[in-house]
Amino acid sequence: MTHKPYTPWLFLLPGLVVSLGFVIFPFLNMIVLSFTDASALGGGQFTGVDNFVRMAQDPKFWVAARNSLLYMVCVVPPLVLLPLLIAMLAQKIVPGIGIFRTAFFTPVIASAVVVGLIWTWLLDSRGLVNSVVEALGGARIPFLTDSTLLLVSSMIVTIWRGLGYYMVIYLSALANVPKDLLEAAMVDGAGPVRRFWSVTVPSLRPTMVLIAALSAVNGFRVFSEIYLLSGGSGGPGGASTTLVMLIQSVGRGLTGEVGYASALSLVLFVILLGLLLITLKLNRREDQL
Amino acid sequence: MKRRTFLAGLAAVPFAGTLASCGLSGNTASNSSAGGQVTGEITFQTWSLKPKYTDYVNGVIDAFQKQHQGTTVKWVDQPADGYLAKVMADASAGSLPDVINVPPDLSFPLAKAGQLVDLDQALEEAKPEYLENAWQAFEIPGKGGCYGFPWYLNTGPVFYNKALFRDAGLDPEKPPTTFKELEEQALKLAQSKKIAMLGQTPTIADFGLYGVKVFENDKFTFNEPEGVEFVESYKRMYDAGALIPEALTQNYTGSGTKFMAQQTALSPGSAYDLGKFKTDAPSLYANIGITKPITNTGSANMFLHGVSVPKSSKNQATALAFGRFVTNAENQVKFAKLASIFPSTSKGGDDPYFTTEDGSDEARVRVAAAKQLKTAVNYTPVQFSDQMREALLQQLADAMLGKKSAKQALDDAVNECNRLLK
Repeated sequence: MTHKPYTPWLFLLPGLVVSLGFVIFPFLNMIVLSFTDASALGGGQFTGVDNFVRMAQDPKFWVAARNSLLYMVCVVPPLVLLPLLIAMLAQKIVPGIGIFRTAFFTPVIASAVVVGLIWTWLLDSRGLVNSVVEALGGARIPFLTDSTLLLVSSMIVTIWRGLGYYMVIYLSALANVPKDLLEAAMVDGAGPVRRFWSVTVPSLRPTMVLIAALSAVNGFRVFSEIYLLSGGSGGPGGASTTLVMLIQSVGRGLTGEVGYASALSLVLFVILLGLLLITLKLNRREDQL
Repeated sequence: MKRRTFLAGLAAVPFAGTLASCGLSGNTASNSSAGGQVTGEITFQTWSLKPKYTDYVNGVIDAFQKQHQGTTVKWVDQPADGYLAKVMADASAGSLPDVINVPPDLSFPLAKAGQLVDLDQALEEAKPEYLENAWQAFEIPGKGGCYGFPWYLNTGPVFYNKALFRDAGLDPEKPPTTFKELEEQALKLAQSKKIAMLGQTPTIADFGLYGVKVFENDKFTFNEPEGVEFVESYKRMYDAGALIPEALTQNYTGSGTKFMAQQTALSPGSAYDLGKFKTDAPSLYANIGITKPITNTGSANMFLHGVSVPKSSKNQATALAFGRFVTNAENQVKFAKLASIFPSTSKGGDDPYFTTEDGSDEARVRVAAAKQLKTAVNYTPVQFSDQMREALLQQLADAMLGKKSAKQALDDAVNECNRLLK
């Protein structure tokens, strides 16, 4: 069967149009705008690297960058390890395991806004958690009104939401762990812990690197959790603002500084690209060993 | 964002009132607005008025089309969520609808970018039909020009929780009327019963109510000594526990929710809130106290919405005629009777509905608010953007936490607001 030379392009066309219109063009536009003083209502003037100089001198940028980095560093280890442990429990075929798996996966499909509201009610100064703490004779804990605790609370929500998603990835990877290796280790007298560290973990290493990369990128780009828990304010004095929150705050509305927000977005993109390249390099090195 | 939700809340008020005939006649049957023929099709965009006010808006459109044969008005209602994004996208593309519902702070950036028709030039004769303070709200201070027909207004009383006042040994019949009394009573409430009086740090409008010159000579000036004194008063209240911890991050909506949950004892509000208390917080409603707004200037705060006509409209004459028609006294009074809002026309407030009490709380609030509106001021400068509101909130939080002095926090907030003005 023969086809015209342009036939494959016809199949590609819908995807290409969407990518060009909604990904490539906005991305290139963002790069151009980052060198201007554009506002929401005007194209602005070319300002060279002024936006980047301003960024280097902007304390809000450094607070946001520090918070995003801290966020990533704190959420990645639990998001790599905890879903693996849950997946190992969830892969057992025991009565009621379906309910267990569903319970862990529910936060993934729940709306971020609903999740944020529920956690806000739980952690509010008069919320459920503080009511229990007070009933037990303790003092109220300022989960949402102390900038550090707000970040920690938000990280807990991120980890809680991510558990189910990464658990599913681990479940599929666990199915590919060679059974003969596990059996051989058992015959050689290896206990469950030894089998886990010497057989399961090495077999899952590529998956773990993938999950580390995904959770690092998501952690660095965190927005909805911190936005909802702080009521959109970024915490008292904006001290819990993250980079994406800062971009939203600077660029939103008719009075938004689109040029500066684009410059912030470009820096965020470069940081994330760097993170992914490091992960890729680590993965390759692991493969070569 | 939240402030917009509040404004949209006014627009989406469920109200059990009946539509009564008002006896006022609109005076807007101009066939040659802005020097063109009133004919052809226009698009009218409103802010979250469907489905509550569908019949009302359709009625206004029908009446206009009847009065001006050959015109067609296409009504588009946008939900509150995403309204700003829609206006922004349309404005960037130069395709704003012919008549658009905007509050002054949204009309300002559009007018500044030269996108709106100046009514002082296009329809100067319309000016006397509206309250002076409402017309001024759509002017660019220092530069003249008016960029929107004032539409509905709101102002409100201060609500307080009589039961909490009583528990703390305060006289529930003597709520604070000045900021000095507010601090005294808030400290007593916090010290005796560990109850917070307030749910949020001061907004820019509160500075105005305190008597601070917020904006002068094209610059923000709320860091003047009176402003510092005002923030220091709040700092004393915060330290004593008279503000809930969430006050540092909260806006009007969040603060109102805390008042409904009886976690704070006092909250500014509007006639719309009273209905909400009745249905959503009956135990609060049973103890609700209603008093005049706390102000050092003698004038209450006013919120308003308007309709503007973009310069990009291909049918400006019809758009201007329709904008004036929607906001004429007759149509505004009808609308105000459906929702808990007030007309911005010079004649609208004379309707008996706004001057006569029938013994109910709703009527008491309505009559008091209508009286208040005659001298009310929109204390929020039109230049005050979302970014500026956030800067003020953050600096006040630092002042409350003692990270900065009140003076330093206000200086920083003013510097940031003035930088954003450029």
